[in-house]
Amino acid sequence: MTIVEFLSDRLERLVLQTVFAGAAALFLLLTGTQPGIVILLGIGWFTVSFWMLGVDFLRQKARLRELESIMEGLDKKYLFSECIPRPRNNYERKQQDLMNRAGRAMISAVSDAQAAQREYREYVESWVHEVKAPITAVGLISRSADRETRRKLSKELAKIEAYVERALFYARAESPEKDFIVRETSFKSIVVQAIENHRGLLMENDVRVETEDLNQKVYTDEKWAVFILGQILQNAVRYRSDDPAIVLSGRSLGKRVQLMVSDNGIGIFSHELPRVFDKGFTGSNGRTRTGATGMGLYLSRRLAECLEIDLQITSEAQKGTRLILTFPAKDNLTIL
Amino acid sequence: MQKIMIIEDDPVIREELALLLKNEGYHPLSPSDFTDIPRQAQREHPDLILLDIGLPGKDGFSLCVSLKSSVKAPVIFVTSRDSGMDEVRALSLGGDDYITKPYNIPVLLARIKAVLRRGARGGEPDIIEAAGLRLDLTRGTVSTEIKTVMLTRNELQILACLMQCAGEIVSRVDLMENLWDSQIYIDDNTLSVNVTRLRGKLAKLGMADLIKTRRGMGYQL
Repeated sequence: MTIVEFLSDRLERLVLQTVFAGAAALFLLLTGTQPGIVILLGIGWFTVSFWMLGVDFLRQKARLRELESIMEGLDKKYLFSECIPRPRNNYERKQQDLMNRAGRAMISAVSDAQAAQREYREYVESWVHEVKAPITAVGLISRSADRETRRKLSKELAKIEAYVERALFYARAESPEKDFIVRETSFKSIVVQAIENHRGLLMENDVRVETEDLNQKVYTDEKWAVFILGQILQNAVRYRSDDPAIVLSGRSLGKRVQLMVSDNGIGIFSHELPRVFDKGFTGSNGRTRTGATGMGLYLSRRLAECLEIDLQITSEAQKGTRLILTFPAKDNLTIL
Repeated sequence: MQKIMIIEDDPVIREELALLLKNEGYHPLSPSDFTDIPRQAQREHPDLILLDIGLPGKDGFSLCVSLKSSVKAPVIFVTSRDSGMDEVRALSLGGDDYITKPYNIPVLLARIKAVLRRGARGGEPDIIEAAGLRLDLTRGTVSTEIKTVMLTRNELQILACLMQCAGEIVSRVDLMENLWDSQIYIDDNTLSVNVTRLRGKLAKLGMADLIKTRRGMGYQL
């Protein structure tokens, strides 16, 4: 709060007081009071008013600073009205009462929303859990079909699985509680699982997959990392060139480790690159190739943030795209 | 024949899985009554137990604990719950492996084989002999009576696959799937290149025409 702001709040009163003091001085002069006494009174009045204004200003400033620091320190800002110091006068008390009522309504709305979201996630998790049984069953039953039918069926089943998986991770990413579990694993293990999950897609499109130097150890949630990598692989296949190839390589950066996924696909225009992690963004490539939902990279970024993985993308149109995942060092993980 | 006990509440999966394991040369046991699984296991002495975590009225985790105390058989968890938490819990309770549904069938079979092998002594032979060739999988060499050549990992897998089905036509897709199972991710062109290189090496052994190309069908030894 600056002094100008403080005075402008009191402008009306100050003007009125000055006009009144002037009128009083005029009256006293006209009724024969000596000018010296009027000046003396004027000085007295000014001193007292200024003193009171100054005290008021400092008090208000201190109070505001205190409130600011409470707000700063609050993890959940909407709990502010519960945490402010006791009111100093009746007016403040009434005001705080109102604020508390508003705050409480907000808190209950927030906790209702959180509960609803939690319930929704639990429902999605159990639904996914249930739907996997018939998918498994169909996979087993399809063995009795002829080779061609079996291949077609397993391709379609893999698609269903990918969609189901995405729904599950969407619910997980949007949920306020993140239940991942950070353990030691290796790039190799993550890469092998991700490729395995999408082998049908990769083989069908005749994608050459090369892996280089994947022996690095990494501390992260394996399932989440496998999902993120899976989204990247799916994109690499969707936006492939005529002779598709994907190179997965790892490297150490001091204590951190980096996983790079490079493809030789159709790439992304530089003006669209900043938006690829936005929810629902499909870009010009997505509009010409089917199946783009604008969710894959959005979800990947969300999940990567939870795991403290830095996810970066570089691309050149018609040349290819490279995704770089930088995993934090074990010592720097705050989520452990 | 090795006995595999399937503990699974979904009847379709249970029956199909039993059929699959039977076709693979195992002896499947698939109880449909889950009231006293440990007792049933004790009676049957399975070599391996496939355990679903989500059983009606009973938690697979606690079942695993009581199974482990009554029989020695290794336990593979087969479940559609796929959070890391469940996996850690399953393995810490003495599970020998953890596979999530829907599983890739070759992967499931490979894991079963691996867990059974871990339990048994000895293990699979790492030498394959067919068509007058001797393939040493651990050394990565192929030899005739007279001469030996080294093979790369890709060539080794391709030749092993062909020798295991000596005489039969192996389709390119099957060959590629087999390679993918061994974590060699190659496309159609790379397969052709590798087969050509393999032929070159076999020519050094005096067996240039051993691998025949069956146009439109695949390769044959």
